[in-house]
Amino acid sequence: MEAQIEALRAEALAAISAAKDARELDAVRVKYMGRAGAIPLLSEGMRNVPKEDKARVGKALNALRTDVTAALESAVQAIADAADNAALADIDVTLPGIAPAQGSIHPLTQLLDRAVRIFRRMGFALADGPDIETEWHCFDALNTPPHHPARNEQDTFYLPDGRLLRTHTSTVQIRTMETQSPPVRIIAPGAAYRRDEVDATHLAQFTQMEGLYVAEKVSVADLKGTLEFFLRELFGENTKIRFRPHFFPFTEPSFEIDIQTPATGGKWMELAGCGMVDPAVFQQICDRRGDEVYHPDKVSGFAFGFGLDRLAMNLIGIPDIRMLVENDLRFLRQF
Amino acid sequence: MKISLSWLKEFVPYEGAAQDLGDLLTRAGLEVGSIETRGADFPKVVVAQILESNPHPNADRLSVCKVDDGSGEPRQIVCGAKNYKVGDKVPLALPGAVLPGNFKIKSGKLRGVESDGMMCSAKELNLAEDAQGLLILSPDLKTGTPISEVFPPETVLEIEITPNRPDWLSHAGVAREVAANTNLPATSPNPGIAPTREDAAVARIEDATACPFYSVRRISGVKIGPSPEWLRRRLESIGLRSINNVVDVTNYVMMELGQPLHAFDAAKIAGGIIVRRAMAGEKFLALDGREYELRSADLVIADSGRAVALAGVMGGEDSGVTETTTDLLLESALFDPPTVRATARALDLHSDSSYRFERGVDPAGVLLASARAVELILEVAGGVAEETVVVAGALPPLEWTVELAYSRCRDLLGVGISNDRVNAALAKLGLDKVSGDDAKSVWKIPSGRADLTRDVDLIEEVVRLVGIESIPSRLVGAPTLATRADATYDDAMHVRRSLRDLGFSEARTSTLVSRASHSAYPLMELRNPLGEEQSALRPTLLTGLLAAVERNLNFGATSVRLFEVGRVFSASQEEQVDRVALVMTGERVAKSWRDSGDESFDFFDMKGVVQSLVRSATFHHVSREPFALAVEVKVGDASAGFVGQISPSAARAMNARGPVIAAELRLDLLEAADQVREFVPIPKFPAVTRDFAVVVPRDMAFGTIEAAVHAAQEPLLAGMQVFDVFADDTGAKLPADRKSLAFSLTFRSPERTLTAEEVTAACDRLKAGLRSQLGVDFRE
Repeated sequence: MEAQIEALRAEALAAISAAKDARELDAVRVKYMGRAGAIPLLSEGMRNVPKEDKARVGKALNALRTDVTAALESAVQAIADAADNAALADIDVTLPGIAPAQGSIHPLTQLLDRAVRIFRRMGFALADGPDIETEWHCFDALNTPPHHPARNEQDTFYLPDGRLLRTHTSTVQIRTMETQSPPVRIIAPGAAYRRDEVDATHLAQFTQMEGLYVAEKVSVADLKGTLEFFLRELFGENTKIRFRPHFFPFTEPSFEIDIQTPATGGKWMELAGCGMVDPAVFQQICDRRGDEVYHPDKVSGFAFGFGLDRLAMNLIGIPDIRMLVENDLRFLRQF
Repeated sequence: MKISLSWLKEFVPYEGAAQDLGDLLTRAGLEVGSIETRGADFPKVVVAQILESNPHPNADRLSVCKVDDGSGEPRQIVCGAKNYKVGDKVPLALPGAVLPGNFKIKSGKLRGVESDGMMCSAKELNLAEDAQGLLILSPDLKTGTPISEVFPPETVLEIEITPNRPDWLSHAGVAREVAANTNLPATSPNPGIAPTREDAAVARIEDATACPFYSVRRISGVKIGPSPEWLRRRLESIGLRSINNVVDVTNYVMMELGQPLHAFDAAKIAGGIIVRRAMAGEKFLALDGREYELRSADLVIADSGRAVALAGVMGGEDSGVTETTTDLLLESALFDPPTVRATARALDLHSDSSYRFERGVDPAGVLLASARAVELILEVAGGVAEETVVVAGALPPLEWTVELAYSRCRDLLGVGISNDRVNAALAKLGLDKVSGDDAKSVWKIPSGRADLTRDVDLIEEVVRLVGIESIPSRLVGAPTLATRADATYDDAMHVRRSLRDLGFSEARTSTLVSRASHSAYPLMELRNPLGEEQSALRPTLLTGLLAAVERNLNFGATSVRLFEVGRVFSASQEEQVDRVALVMTGERVAKSWRDSGDESFDFFDMKGVVQSLVRSATFHHVSREPFALAVEVKVGDASAGFVGQISPSAARAMNARGPVIAAELRLDLLEAADQVREFVPIPKFPAVTRDFAVVVPRDMAFGTIEAAVHAAQEPLLAGMQVFDVFADDTGAKLPADRKSLAFSLTFRSPERTLTAEEVTAACDRLKAGLRSQLGVDFRE
C-alpha cells in the first residue's frame, strides 16, 4: 500500500508539472483528486490495511492528498500568473493615453477670475448692475456734462425708451452708493458697450472691471497702494507702474495707469483709468438718497476701471481681438 | 495736436532732448503719442558740386568723381550712383560724419581708389523712406552749406490733450506747462492791443448766449500772395496746408495762442456783420466747397444778405480771402461751446476752429490774438489796420477765486505736504494767492483755466506738479461682507468649472443680435443699431452658441460641447436675467485607437448634465420652436429653463452627423456653489434588489410607471432603477405597439435586515397596484 502511495505521488506530481494550461491541469485534478480519482480510489484500500498499520498508512495517504492539492494549487497559480503576465506584456505602453474629455474656461473669464481673487484678498466684495441703464446712472450721476460727446447717438447705443446700454461699468459705482451706506469697497466686472465698428482691436461689446472704495479719509495714497498691489499680483513683482495725470468727469484728480512688463513687450501699456471720486458725484448721490452720508466733507473715495479684452489680448498674445468671441474650439481649448 | 519743438522754444527756453520733453509732458498729463524728427541734422554733411566724373579703373559699376565741397580744394569721391550729371549739387558726407544707423564715414580706398567721403541719397539722410540714387539739390545752393541749413531739423510731438484743458491747445499754452514743470520762464507774444469801440453798423450780436463777444478789425491795402518760407514751413511742420499769407497768419495765430480767427474779404461783405441764428433751411456754401442746409439752432455770421460764416466752425466759400482781396475784416470772437459742438456734429463738419471753440477758448485771448494777427499780417501782406477794433457784446469775467484748505489737500492726497509746497506748485501755474493763513488760502485763477473752480481742482494741480511718485502707497481698509453679487459670481464660476470638468468649453457670444432672427421673442431693440445683425439684445444665448457649433463643425470638429454664462434680455417683467446655455453634438467618446467614436451624444447626455447642475429638476414635455423635441426644466413650480434637440434636418443643415442638443437654464436656480448640506446616515443594513420586466403600450412613459410606484408609498422601497427599454418595430419579438421596460426595485430598512417574505409581499402589493392602475403586464 505504501509503495502504491509513493508511486501515485510521483505519477501525480509528474502529471501536474506536465500540464501546460488550466484545462490540462483540471483534467489532472479530476484524474487524481476527483470523486472517482486515483487518490480517493486508493483511499478505499484503507479498509484492508491491518489495524496496527492504519495510523501510519492513513498519515501517508493524507500527506499524499495534501501534497497533490498543494502542487495543483501552485500549478493553477503559476499558470494564471503566466497568462496574466503574458497579457500585460502585450500592452504597448507607447500607445497614446486616453484622457477623460476636459473642456476649458474662456481665457477672458480666467483673467477676470484672477483679478477678482486678488481684490477679494484685499477685502473687496462684488457688486453688480444692469446692462440696460438710465442716462442718469451712466452720465448725469457721473458728472458728465449734458452735451458731452459720449452721450451722442453715434457713440452710445440707445433703446427706444431713452435708456441706453451702459458705456462703462462705472454705473455700478452709482448703483452701489444709492443702496449701500459707506464704507463701500467693491469691484464690479461686467459688460459695457460702445457704438464702435468691430475691427482687430475693437468690439462693440467689451468686458470691464470697475472698483470703488469710499470711506472716511480715503486718499490718493490708498488708491496707489491698492492698484500697485493688484498690478504686481497680476503681472509679477517687478512690474513697472506709472500713474499719469488724466481727465475723467467723475474723478478729480484723475490718472491713467500704464504698466511695463515682459508681457507688454517691454513697452508702456495703458491699462486703467482711476482717480478720486469727484465731489459732484457724491453730491448727486446725496441728492438721490435724500441723506448726507456721502457728503464730500464726510467721505472721500477712489474709483478705477479697466478693460479686460485688450489686456487678455496682450497677455495671451493674440493678434486680433475678435478671436475672443469667435468661439473656435481650437482656440478655446488652448486655455 | 501737433507741437513743433522749435516753435515751442520761442516761448520757453527748453534745451533738453525731445524724448525727455515727451516724458515731462506725459507725466504732466499731456500724453505724447509720438515724437517725429524731420529734416537732416547731420554735422559734417555739406552741399557739394560734382566737377567731373570718370569711370573707375577696377569696377564697372563705380565712378570716380571730383567734387567741390566749398573748401576750394577738390575732393575725390568714389560713387556707385548713376542718376547725376556733372555740375549737379548733392549732399556730401565728409569723413567724420555719422549717418543714420550709426554709419561712420571715413576716408579709404574703394577697389583700390581713394575715396574721401560719400555722396548721399535721400534715404541715407533719413529724408525719404526709399530713394534711388543721389539726392540732387537745388542749383542755387552754395557749396559748403551745412545740410542742416538746407533741411532744417524739425521735431514734432503728437500730443493728446484731455478735453478739460483747452488752454493746452496752442504752442504758448504747452510752453506754459513746460515752464511750470521745469522752473524755466515762459514768454508769449505781447502785441499792443488796439482801443475798442462799439458800432452796431459794423458788427452786432443778435444772440448773446451763443456769442457773448465779437470783434472785427479792418485792414486795408493788403497784398495777398504766398507766405514767406518761415510761415509756410511752420504750418506744414504741424500738418497744415499753406493757403496764402493772410489765411496762414490766422492759422498760425490759432496754433500759437489757441484763439481761432477768420479773415473776410471786406469787399464781399454787404453792410455790417450780424451774429445770428440761421433760418431753418438756410443754405450755406462753406470753404470746403460743400453746401450745407442749416438748422435754426446753428449760429452764423451774416452780412445784410446772407450767411458768410458758420460761427466758430468754417468760413464761407464766397466771402473768403483770395488773390484779388485788398481789404480784410479780421474776426476774433467767443462762441458758446455747446452751440458750436451741436453745429459741427449736426453737419459733420469739424475744423481746428470748432475743436477749440467746443472746448472753450480763453476770453482774455480774443483781443490779444486779433492784435497778434494784425501785427503779422502787416508784416507779411502789408496794408494798414484801422486804429480801433469794433466790438460787440461783453467778455465774461476774466478772473475768479477758489479757496483751498491745506488740510483737505493733505487728506485727499494722503501725504503730509507742506503749505509752502502747495503754494509753490500753484504759483508755478500762474495762480495768484490773494489771501490766506496757515489753514487756508484763496487763489485768483487765470481766465484760461475754466477747469479750476473748486478746491479739488487745485488739489489735482498740486499732485500734477509735485508728482504722484512723491505720494506714499498705503494699503489698509476693513474687508467688506460678501453681497448677493458675490454669491452670484461664485455660482457662475462653480457652474463654469463643473461644465469644464464635464468636457464643455466656455464660449462668449455677442449680446447684440439680429432682430429678424429673433422675431418670436419679446425683444429689447436698439434705437440706433450699427446694422440689422446687431439690432437687438439677445433674448437667448442659444442662437450665438448654435452658430458657434456650426462654425466648429465646418472647421472639422467631430465633437462639440460649448457653454456660455451670460445675460439675456426680454421686453417683459424680467428684463435682464443671467443664464447658462449648453450645446453638444458629435462623438460621445472621441475616436481613438481604442474607441470607435461611433456613438453620438443624444438627449439623455444633455439631460444628465442638466441633472448634475440642478439636482431637484423635473422635466416636462413642451413644444418650443425651433426645437423638434423640448422639455421644460422645473425646480418646484418655477421654470428653470429647457432642454431641446433641434430637428434632424436642421442638424444636418449645420453639418452635424448626429443629434444637436441644447439647454438653457437660469443661473439663479442652479445648485449654489456654497451650500451646507445635511448629513444623511449611511445605511447599516443590506438592501434587497428585485428585477421586473413589464410590457406596456409604446406611448406609456417610464415616468408614469415611476410615479405610480412612488405614489404607492411602500415604506421599505428605497429606490427604482430602469435598466432596459426594448421595442420591436417588426412585431417579431414583441407586438409593435408595445414596449418592454426592465427595472429593479431596491428595498431597505434602517433598522434590520429584511426577510425575503416581507420583500416579496411589498413587491406583490406594488405589482397589483400597477396592474390595476395602469394595466401593466409583468413578464415573469
